[in-house]
Amino acid sequence: MTMFHFFNCAILTFGPHAVYYSATPLSECDTLGTSVKAALVYLGTALVKLVCLATFLQVSENDGFDPYQELLKALIGFIDVAGLYFALTQLTHRNISQNHKFQAVGLGWAFADSVLHRLAPLWVGARGLEFTWDYILQGLEANANLVLSISLAALGSLIWLRKNKPKTLIPIIYACAGIVATMPSITSYPRRGLGWHFPKVVGFELFTSLVMAFISWQLFSACQRPYAALLSPMKFRLPSSFVV
Amino acid sequence: MALSKNPGGHRGMQESMYSVIALVFILVACVELCDAAAAIDVYRLIQYDMSGSAYGSRFAALNHHAASLHFPPGADLSRAVLIIPLRELNITFVREYINQKKPLGGLLFLLPDIFSFENGGNKQVHEKEQLKNLLAELEQLLIHANIPYPVYFAFENDEIDTVLADIKKNDAIGQPATATTGGYKLVIPTPEPKKVASPTITNIQGWLSGLKADGDTNQLPTIAIVASYDTFGAAPPLSVGSDSNGSGVVALLEIARLFSLLYSNPKTRGRYNLLFGLTSGGPYNYNGTQKWLRSFDQRLRESIDYAICLNSIGSWDNELWIHVSKPPENAYIKQIFEGFSNVAEEMDIKVGLKHKKINISNPRVAWEHEQFSRLRVTAATLSEISTAPELLQGTGGLYDSRQFVNETAITRGVKLVAESLARHIYGHQGKNVQIFADGGSLAVNPAYIQSWLDLLSQTPRVAPFLSKNDPFVMALKKELADHTDEVNMQHEVLEGVFTFYDSTSARLNIYQVASVTFDLLLLLVLGSYLIVLFSFLVITTRGLDDLISLFRRPPSRKVKTA
Repeated sequence: MTMFHFFNCAILTFGPHAVYYSATPLSECDTLGTSVKAALVYLGTALVKLVCLATFLQVSENDGFDPYQELLKALIGFIDVAGLYFALTQLTHRNISQNHKFQAVGLGWAFADSVLHRLAPLWVGARGLEFTWDYILQGLEANANLVLSISLAALGSLIWLRKNKPKTLIPIIYACAGIVATMPSITSYPRRGLGWHFPKVVGFELFTSLVMAFISWQLFSACQRPYAALLSPMKFRLPSSFVV
Repeated sequence: MALSKNPGGHRGMQESMYSVIALVFILVACVELCDAAAAIDVYRLIQYDMSGSAYGSRFAALNHHAASLHFPPGADLSRAVLIIPLRELNITFVREYINQKKPLGGLLFLLPDIFSFENGGNKQVHEKEQLKNLLAELEQLLIHANIPYPVYFAFENDEIDTVLADIKKNDAIGQPATATTGGYKLVIPTPEPKKVASPTITNIQGWLSGLKADGDTNQLPTIAIVASYDTFGAAPPLSVGSDSNGSGVVALLEIARLFSLLYSNPKTRGRYNLLFGLTSGGPYNYNGTQKWLRSFDQRLRESIDYAICLNSIGSWDNELWIHVSKPPENAYIKQIFEGFSNVAEEMDIKVGLKHKKINISNPRVAWEHEQFSRLRVTAATLSEISTAPELLQGTGGLYDSRQFVNETAITRGVKLVAESLARHIYGHQGKNVQIFADGGSLAVNPAYIQSWLDLLSQTPRVAPFLSKNDPFVMALKKELADHTDEVNMQHEVLEGVFTFYDSTSARLNIYQVASVTFDLLLLLVLGSYLIVLFSFLVITTRGLDDLISLFRRPPSRKVKTA
């Protein structure tokens, strides 16, 4: 039964990525290459982050919440943002629409994150006889992470790839991007400082990721509207692949 | 050039392949290191063959679900391990199960702390005696039965108590109710038990020479003091035999120490040689003693005036017994008994004489002195036990722990034996002379007795599992060498009547497992979650029509041909 449990947790952790890929138009536009490249960029970013954490961070004896260390970790977290910037802007993608590009990049990013952080513990732990809820919670965490990555990629594409945005929305976009980027540090406060148990922390993550996804979706569609409004007179002349 | 380059490249790839394969194996092996709800040390019931018949628990590996005594009546226990704490033991229930050969996955007995040395300490427990008797009865039942499933003993601790409470709760409600508590699984991964090849028994003897007068060519008479030091019990790693016969060994060492003090000075050296014997093979009809005596020179054997065997003198109050096999009317026996009685009267101890005839045709040897008597050497056994024990009874099993032994009893016993011997050696019979008076330089040392008793109560001494050069045997040899002139060790092989099997202790892992229904339920939930996610994403990104079109059959080719 333990392989069964491993299989269950694996499909909870990695299933949504596959489902996302096949359900959305990503599979039709064949954006696999983009996702793979984004995954590789994530690996590189993770390596750089590791080196920085090892160099600058002190190992604390107690598991408490140290604001100074958390601030440092948040700063290092911005390397993530830099990596995402690189993946979104610098890599050469096939001719896919912006809408699909951020989704593909976010998907690849989240998949690499899940594999790197969750596959090894799953393989070693979930196959044992002893039953714990940890791996199911970890899978839920992976789901939350997927949503967060896609919203971060969306906000990132808004910031760097879209040139004309409504002026009023720009500060909100940057603020949201900041919150999503520092989400790991924000979740570590309840985990360490308040001492919440794992299920509570995962619930918190799911809730915040859904909220941030909703906000970024609203922002994204808000930025679409002026663009679409500009473009609508010319819509019937453009080939259908340009329709967003 | 190109050709020579490629093999190098291939080799490099091969090496990296090997390292990847090795990594995969390590990862696969990592599963075994996963942690369990609890992991405790358990000790297996002894497995042995006697004259071809099999006894004890015949299996070692365990991989079954746990059940408690509150199991629903009529439940199938053939794949369950019954966990029975000693306090809740109903001996008739166990006897019924074993005698009627009812199928069972395994038995796990939980012993209270008082039977363990580290935690036993001096806790005052109600019904201490009751538990001791119950455990003795259980032990006798188990070692004389042939049990076709694993039986293990463990000490109670907090972890297993919580696990057991949980199991009882689940059993009481008939079935495990919640999905997560599919139950507890007990796993002991040990290989099949193998025979112990050539079990050795080691006899240690120490010789203290008496004072030979100048010109005297005759052999000095010898007095032998003997005690057997090995034990036999239901769980060999727990068979420490504090009373049987740790008390005897400690007494022998103390007597040796006292007489070595006396004999160190030629002015106080007696005209008797003293032979101290620590024999092994006691539970097996004193096999070791027999071999030891057979190895003696005829002259030496004839020079032995008498032998005193010490057996269980650790938990008596006021009465000791001297067991003999020669009739009490015998002059030598009378002399020995009178000597002991005189000293005992002064010490307020009652000494009784018990006579048991030897039946040469019966292989059963109940007392150690019988082995001497069979070779026509006068001997007697001093013991607190009044009746002769049966085979493998009273041989220092599980119940014989430090808690139940009294150092004062041993101290008094030592004084009794030492005084009696000294009066005989120095010819002070009948005179009221205290050689080993309390408070003097030759007083019996209670600290010595206590420290050796503590050591013996921590050392399991089942002979087949004691190697030739076991540290404990070496320690005994060294101690005897300190007190005597000459020490010899005799190594023998235990007779073919008994065969022992190894795998006596293991580590039990208790896992909390989820039931199969839980896994299936989870699969169902996850499957529906993924399907819902899929439909949600299709609807939001491609529209509802696309979702419906996925399920419609593709339009038939007829349209095209038409």
